[in-house]
Amino acid sequence: MPSRNLGDLERAVMEQLWAAHSPDAALTVREVHDELARSRDIAYTTVMTVMDRLARKDLVSQERDGRAYRYRARGSRAAMTAELMRETLADFTGHDRQTALAAFVEDASAEDIAALREALSGLDGR
Amino acid sequence: MVTPLLLGALAVLLAGPAPALLARVHRTRHTPRAAMVLWQSGALAAVLAAVGAGLSLVTGTAWQRAPDLLPYLTAGLALLLTALVLGRLLLSGHLVGTDLRALRRRHRDQLDVVARRDARAPGGTAVLENDLPVAYCVPGRHVERVVVSVGALDRLSPDEVGAVLAHERAHLRARHDLVLEAFSVLHHAFPRWVSSAAALAEVRLLVEVLADRAASRGSSCAALGRALVTLAEGRASGPGFALAASGDDSTLLVRVRLLADHRPHRVQAAVLLALSAAVLALPTAFVVLPWLSGLA
Repeated sequence: MPSRNLGDLERAVMEQLWAAHSPDAALTVREVHDELARSRDIAYTTVMTVMDRLARKDLVSQERDGRAYRYRARGSRAAMTAELMRETLADFTGHDRQTALAAFVEDASAEDIAALREALSGLDGR
Repeated sequence: MVTPLLLGALAVLLAGPAPALLARVHRTRHTPRAAMVLWQSGALAAVLAAVGAGLSLVTGTAWQRAPDLLPYLTAGLALLLTALVLGRLLLSGHLVGTDLRALRRRHRDQLDVVARRDARAPGGTAVLENDLPVAYCVPGRHVERVVVSVGALDRLSPDEVGAVLAHERAHLRARHDLVLEAFSVLHHAFPRWVSSAAALAEVRLLVEVLADRAASRGSSCAALGRALVTLAEGRASGPGFALAASGDDSTLLVRVRLLADHRPHRVQAAVLLALSAAVLALPTAFVVLPWLSGLA
């Protein structure tokens, strides 16, 4: 994973949104900044930029609340992870077109597993 | 008018029937590196022949003949093939390229916020908090990622994890994504009735075998084999699993069997490399020789 500051900041902001009192809570930039500023030296405009980037990447949704914007994570961390996994699996099973990702293992059926175990026993000790 | 015709025929042969045939010679898999060189040479030769068909008209000793219908027809066909292949190559290359990169970028954006690190997967590996066992990489020049799920880490021993990570890193180091992209673009550049789907599948398999080989140099091949089977089992019971397609051995089975083969097969490798050179020399000779004899 990248250890660029920007990536760390994006993760920190997401943590705030996820940790908010209910999964559907929408926070303002001010609220997120105040929380983050407790443990690091960070400008309001920086938080605003990061949250805007997250919205453009479609990771958080942005809604108007009077004169401020409120941001909400697209889903809980578990839900977003599950969605990512679903996309990943869909990519692996696209046989005709090229896959964007490179999987270690493609899919296997129950019959294959038996044959695989047998072939594996031929490997032992090498 | 013979040269453009020959080159056109060679292009079609090298794009369709020849790869389809080579894909059936399974013993080439035992020398994956030499086999890959042959595949790449064949692909390059196909493009050279297709382009050469049109080019050889320009160097045209043909135009010195009296103008009658057949030479013009042949010229037309050769030019058509060249234009078609070149045009489709460029378009296909552009579309495939931008699509893939956009998909990968989108994947990385999500990955970078939901993934975490885990001591069991060192070296900057992204770990997904999910029970389904997966391991994969996201290719890209300076933005590559190796990803593994908690489900995979829970099911594999430390040396098996090491083997999996080594396999993925081998893919990234060797830029297998670019190799596959080139083949995919070529596959779509020639008309559907010419290109062979079996050839594309064979190249994908070879790429996996090459990564397996690179990984088993560092770890034991038994660890890699166990990891393959464990992850396959974990996925066979999860969502997104597919039934085995045909009577042919599955890719996984081929890979596990090949792991046991440690012999160098030097003669076979030499033969394949010599064939690669010959395959590349063929279109080159067809273009260059008539031109040379025209000079004499």
